[in-house]
Amino acid sequence: MTKTKTNPYLEFLKQNLVLCGIVVLIIVTAIAEPKFLGTSNLNNVLRQLGPLPFAALGMTFVIIGGFIDLSIVGIISLVGVITIGLVDPLGQVGALLAGILLGAFLGWLNGLVLTTCGAMTQAEVLFITYGMSSIYTALALIYTGSETLRISRSEKSISIFTTLGSTNIGIIPVVLVVFVIVLILMHLFHRKTIWGRAIALMGGNKDAAYLAGFNMKRTMRLAYAINGTMSALASIALLSRVTTATATSGANYETNAILCVVVGGTTLKGGKGSVLRTMLGVVLITLLGNCMNMLNLSTYMQTVMRGAVLVIAIWLDNRKEL
Amino acid sequence: MEKTTDYILEVKDICKYFPGVKALDHVSISIPRGVVYGIVGENGAGKSTLMKILSGVYEKDEGTVIFNGETIEHTTPIQALRRGLSIIYQEFNLVNTMTVGENIFLGRFSETHGMKGTHKKAKELLDSIGSSISTTTLVGDLSASEMQMVEIAKALSFDSKLIIMDEPSSSLTSEELKKLGIIINQLRDKGVSVIYISHKLDEIFEYCNIVTIMRDGCVIDTKPVEELTRSDMIAKMVGRTIENEYPPRAHCVGEPLLEVRNLNTHKLHNINFTLHKGEILGLVGLVGAGRTEIIRALYGADKVKGHQVLLEGKEVKIPTPKQAKQAGMALVPEDRKREGLILPFSVESNITMASLEDLTHMGIVDSSKEADIGKRQIEALAIKTPTPETKVVTLSGGNQQKCIVGRWMERNPKILILDEPTRGIDVGAKFEIYLLMNKIVEEGGAIIMISSELPEVLNMSNRVLAICDGRITGEFNPEEATAEEIMDKAIG
Repeated sequence: MTKTKTNPYLEFLKQNLVLCGIVVLIIVTAIAEPKFLGTSNLNNVLRQLGPLPFAALGMTFVIIGGFIDLSIVGIISLVGVITIGLVDPLGQVGALLAGILLGAFLGWLNGLVLTTCGAMTQAEVLFITYGMSSIYTALALIYTGSETLRISRSEKSISIFTTLGSTNIGIIPVVLVVFVIVLILMHLFHRKTIWGRAIALMGGNKDAAYLAGFNMKRTMRLAYAINGTMSALASIALLSRVTTATATSGANYETNAILCVVVGGTTLKGGKGSVLRTMLGVVLITLLGNCMNMLNLSTYMQTVMRGAVLVIAIWLDNRKEL
Repeated sequence: MEKTTDYILEVKDICKYFPGVKALDHVSISIPRGVVYGIVGENGAGKSTLMKILSGVYEKDEGTVIFNGETIEHTTPIQALRRGLSIIYQEFNLVNTMTVGENIFLGRFSETHGMKGTHKKAKELLDSIGSSISTTTLVGDLSASEMQMVEIAKALSFDSKLIIMDEPSSSLTSEELKKLGIIINQLRDKGVSVIYISHKLDEIFEYCNIVTIMRDGCVIDTKPVEELTRSDMIAKMVGRTIENEYPPRAHCVGEPLLEVRNLNTHKLHNINFTLHKGEILGLVGLVGAGRTEIIRALYGADKVKGHQVLLEGKEVKIPTPKQAKQAGMALVPEDRKREGLILPFSVESNITMASLEDLTHMGIVDSSKEADIGKRQIEALAIKTPTPETKVVTLSGGNQQKCIVGRWMERNPKILILDEPTRGIDVGAKFEIYLLMNKIVEEGGAIIMISSELPEVLNMSNRVLAICDGRITGEFNPEEATAEEIMDKAIG
């Protein structure tokens, strides 16, 4: 069926709603509070972009695959404390790699638990990953004895972490450069590789993909392993910036990551989505937080706004199909 | 009943536009009280759109609807029900985890004064249509035809004056269909009108008094059924004449290709059969007899208790569909929307998804080769789609089915398994699927076909196996056997 009689402006707005939202937000806030466009605030926004984009990037794959992952809270926390703990025994490179591998393993383990349980509905996945999150958080608590770990107390060099956490190239933080590289790789992974395709097909219709000869269990574990890896990167970005890690560092990252993915336009129904769009979601959500701070909105009000944005995003997504 | 000349429903000049399509173009129909009114047309002719407007799912753009003497501007499904217009969809609207009685009065328990009254009234309604289902059974435990009885009882509970049945027979066996016929006659005798929508013309001739033929959103003709012949009707539906519904049977049966020995699952018992090169093997049985289970077990989609499969004389293990695909098997499943297509994806992705591995080098999919495959199959099967990037969900049923067939044709399968290959697709597309089946066997492939339409099996297969209760109960040469003989074995 061909489309006719559509207003080109309206069509553009529909296709680029998030982008338009970002532009409107910038204009409105800049008028209300001119300091918003100042260099110091801009620096602030860019620095805030550290951990969340990684988490949202990983979450995009799980959601495209038709599932959801609440366990990243636990993964981020556990990877953070273990990485700091390993700097002294393994050195910073060893700790970094071990942290990333741990994240990948924990994600893969989520997938393994889910496929072994035969969890196939959203509700089952929701609760199992929530349970996994509790386990990971509890392990982090056991490991730290609920103390705050400080990377600055390490006896070995921590130059990689300090570079990631506080060095800029021009006004662009190093961590953002790393992120953009990862983003491009993951975008290509999604669009060009058979594995990326398998994840999307699984989200579109896992029964059909199974009958067409795809291994759904392996694909599911892959999607979760990707999310675990990205959560580990988020965790490292976070501990580099704040120089500490606790057993609850990862709190709220799951809701914010899901928020970014959905606001970006990846449907919670699975199948369709794009990592680049998720990044627009990240920008919108981060800017929204920043704008609300600049306009002196209370934290409670900010939470209300976040919730409202999520509801509106899902509403718009469902409207699209009419 | 005193106003039998009166119309229960009059629809005048209804138009409905969807982005880029005129789904209904000045459609007018008048349905007298107490008749069975058939509506036929190919997929996409506008039948479902019209029914959705009547039942309040869609809003009309132009025209008037007069129901029971009352002009209706806006309606919602619940208002339509309360006025006495109910619709029974192909997919039933029942809650599987609730009882029959609860389903019939769902949301209206206060009207029946509690559960006791609910079950009592439900039983009266079921009795009135001659059904003996217990009202305390869970709907999930019922057969498809019993569920239909529940839907009809539910429609009657609203004191319906017009009941729309959309493809009511698609999940029924021929026995169950006979029962439905009796009930439809009873409804007519009570003065209830029925709109009967079906692709199966035999049913239209058997049950309907008046038939409207639709094509491309327009009413082509409305006539009493006696004044129409089958070929007239088909010609009007497709806008051209089709001499035969089936192409000549292919005769190219060769060497044994696939031998299945002692296939057992929790539903199947000692299934043994051989499939030959160039053969179309038809599996006949009632819904639930184990036809789909046989092919799913063979294809590695379900767990098997132990069996032996010989492909070209060599034993093969097929634990998952992936291995089945590698062994040269292909499956076009029964429910194309649930198991076949990835609906939000493009036509091209739906066609290429089974071939992606062959286009992949070091994990990277070659998108130009992928586009070639898409184009090739769209052309080869004459799939009607604006572009390869069009979402497959927007295509008609027949074209959707061709996308799944094309997905497998690209791999030149040795064994093509077709489960209800022509369900819910129109006459023209059916014929094309038949031609394609003949082409496959002429090129040395073999086909296992499951179909509930006996004429289709009789006309297309080289050999027919009757399945009953998870066992093979008979083997027939369809050129000699009659439909009755085969059904006798299938009923057991």
